[in-house]
Amino acid sequence: MTTTLIPPDLTTAITPDHPAEQAAAREQRRSGDQPARFAGVVRSEWVKLRSVRSSKTTLFSAAGVLLFVGLAAAAFTGGLLAQPADAGDGPGAGDPTSIVMSGLMLAPLIIAVLGVMAITAEYATGTIRTTMMMVPARLPVLWAKVVVLSAVAVPVMVVTSMVTFVAGQALLDAGGTATTSLGDPGVLRAVLGSGLYLAGIAVIGLAFGALLRGTATAISALFAVLFLVPGLGALLLPSSIQDSVLPYLPSNAASSFTSVTPGPELLSTTTGAVVFAAWVVIPVLAAAVALKRRPI
Amino acid sequence: MIELHGLTKRYGEKTVVDDLTFTIQPGVVTGFLGPNGAGKSTTMRMLVGLEEPDGGSSAVNGRTYGEHAAPAHEIGVLLDAGARHPGRSARDHLLALAATHRISAKRVDEVIELVGLAEVARSRSGGFSLGMGQRLGIASALLGDPETVMLDEPVNGLDPEGIRWIRELLRGLAAEGRTVFVSSHLMSEMALTAEHLIVVGRGRLIADISVADLVAQSITSVRVRSPRTAELRAVLAGDDVTVTTGTDGALDVTGLSLEQIGDRAAAAALTVHELTLQRASLEEAYMELTAHAVEYHGTLTTAGSSPIPTTSATPTPERTAA
Repeated sequence: MTTTLIPPDLTTAITPDHPAEQAAAREQRRSGDQPARFAGVVRSEWVKLRSVRSSKTTLFSAAGVLLFVGLAAAAFTGGLLAQPADAGDGPGAGDPTSIVMSGLMLAPLIIAVLGVMAITAEYATGTIRTTMMMVPARLPVLWAKVVVLSAVAVPVMVVTSMVTFVAGQALLDAGGTATTSLGDPGVLRAVLGSGLYLAGIAVIGLAFGALLRGTATAISALFAVLFLVPGLGALLLPSSIQDSVLPYLPSNAASSFTSVTPGPELLSTTTGAVVFAAWVVIPVLAAAVALKRRPI
Repeated sequence: MIELHGLTKRYGEKTVVDDLTFTIQPGVVTGFLGPNGAGKSTTMRMLVGLEEPDGGSSAVNGRTYGEHAAPAHEIGVLLDAGARHPGRSARDHLLALAATHRISAKRVDEVIELVGLAEVARSRSGGFSLGMGQRLGIASALLGDPETVMLDEPVNGLDPEGIRWIRELLRGLAAEGRTVFVSSHLMSEMALTAEHLIVVGRGRLIADISVADLVAQSITSVRVRSPRTAELRAVLAGDDVTVTTGTDGALDVTGLSLEQIGDRAAAAALTVHELTLQRASLEEAYMELTAHAVEYHGTLTTAGSSPIPTTSATPTPERTAA
C-alpha cells in the first residue's frame, strides 16, 4: 500500500487537480484491506499487553510470589530454615501440598492487578475512546482482552504452580518431612487448580476493572471480595449464616479445588469449581452489558 | 462527508447539543467553531459512536459510524491528544490500533514519518510534549488513509512551526478530495485554515457559512476623513445613519455605502482625504455571532444585559441631528 499523504515539507506542492481521481485511487488501494476482524482485535490487545513494562512486572511478581512464598514455607517446615519463634500451625499445616502452595494467599491480589490494569489503564489514559472508535461494536474488545489475558495468565500460572510444587516437595524431602507427589490422589488437580484459580482471578480483575473503570476502586473491590469479606465474615457473621455464605465466596470456592482434601466447611471440589467459574463468568457478562450500554 | 440531522444530546435537564443539522462537504477544510461548552466535543463523540444521541442521527460517508466494518478507513479521528499510555511507545500505540484493521507495520512507519515522530517513535511516550501528543494523535487519525478526517482542537500545544505544518497538512488533505472537519474555539486559527465554518453556541447551530461570506458580512462601517468634518456630517445625516467621531477626527459612518458617501461629499463639493471600508476582524465577527451563546463569560457583561461588546475601538455613538 502506498500513501498519498505527502511528507510535511512537500504539502504545499500538493496539486489538487483531480481530487475525485485521488479519492477513487484511495478506494481501490483500500479495497485489499480487511475489515476489523476478531483476530485483529486479539492481536491489538496482545500488542497493548506486551508493550507495557508493568504487565510483565505484575505477571512475574505474581509468579515469583507463588514460587518463593511456597519455597520459603517448605524450607521452614522441613527445618532447613529456623522456624520463627511464634510460628503456629500455618495454613494447611501438615499437608505437603498446601505448605508449598502457601503463596496462594498473596498471589491472587497481584495477578488481579494485571487483569484490572488491562482495562482501567485505558480509562485512565483515555485510550479506551480510541480503542472503541476502532472497534465500534465494543464487545470484541472485551472478549479479546479475556482471550489475551487468559492466554498469558493460564500457562504462566499453571507452569509456576507445577514448578513451585515440584521444587517445594524437593525442599520438604531435603528437610526430611513428609512429601507427596503429583501421582497421589487429588494432588495434580490441586496443583493445576491453583494455576487456573490465579488465571481466573486475573479475568475477574478485568471484569471488575471494566465495570468500575478506576484502578483503585476495582482493586479495592477485589480485595474486599477475595480477602476482607471472607475474613470479616468468619469473625462477625453468626455461624448459621456463615455456612450459607462463606463457602460461596471466590477464594473459599477455589479452596475446594486447590486443596487436596477440602475441609468440611468448604464446598465439594466440583461444586467449588462451578461456583468459582460463575465468579469469573458473571462479572465478565455484567461488564459486557455495561460496556455496550454506557457511554465511553 | 459528514451529515447531521437534528442531532440532540441531553444530560439531565441540560441540552448540550440541540437539534444540529448540517453537512460537511469533501474537498474543503471546515472549521467547527464555538465557545467552550458549546457542545463541539459532544457532537464529535456522537459522530463516532462513543455516545448515543437522544435524538436525530448522523452519518459518516453515508452510514452511521457503527455500520462501517472498517471505520478507520472511513474517518480518522483525533479527540484527545493525551490519549496514550505513558509507558507505551508511539510505534506500539499505533501498531495496536493498526492491528484492529490489519493495517501493516509499514503503514505505521509511514504515518510516523509523516508526522515527524520517527526519532522518538520507539521510546516511551510518557515524555512527549503536548505538541508531540498532537502529532501522535494525528498519526493515528491518518493510519487508515481515511476519506474523512475529524480533529478536535488539533492546534493546541503546537509551536508555530507545528501550527503551520498542520494547516498545510489539513489543506493538503482537503485538496486530495477528503472531508476535513476541525474544531477550534479560536477564530483566528480557523480563519487561516478553513474555507467553511460551522459555528455553534449552547449546542445550537449559529452559522453554517463560508469564510468568504462571513468576511463580506463583517463590513461594519465606512471611515471618512475630511478637513470639513462638520459640513460632511450634515450632508451624511439621515434616519438610519449613525456617524461617530474617532479619536483622530475621522468619521465612522454606518448605514451608508462607500459609494453613497463619496457621491454626497462630491455633490456638496467637500474634500475627502480618506474613504475606507472598515471590516470587523473575523474574530470580531465571530464574537458577535456567538455573543448570545457564550456559556461562561467574564465580567464584561452585567447580569441580564446585552452581550459582550465587540472589542474594537468603538467610540460612543452620537446620533447626528436628523
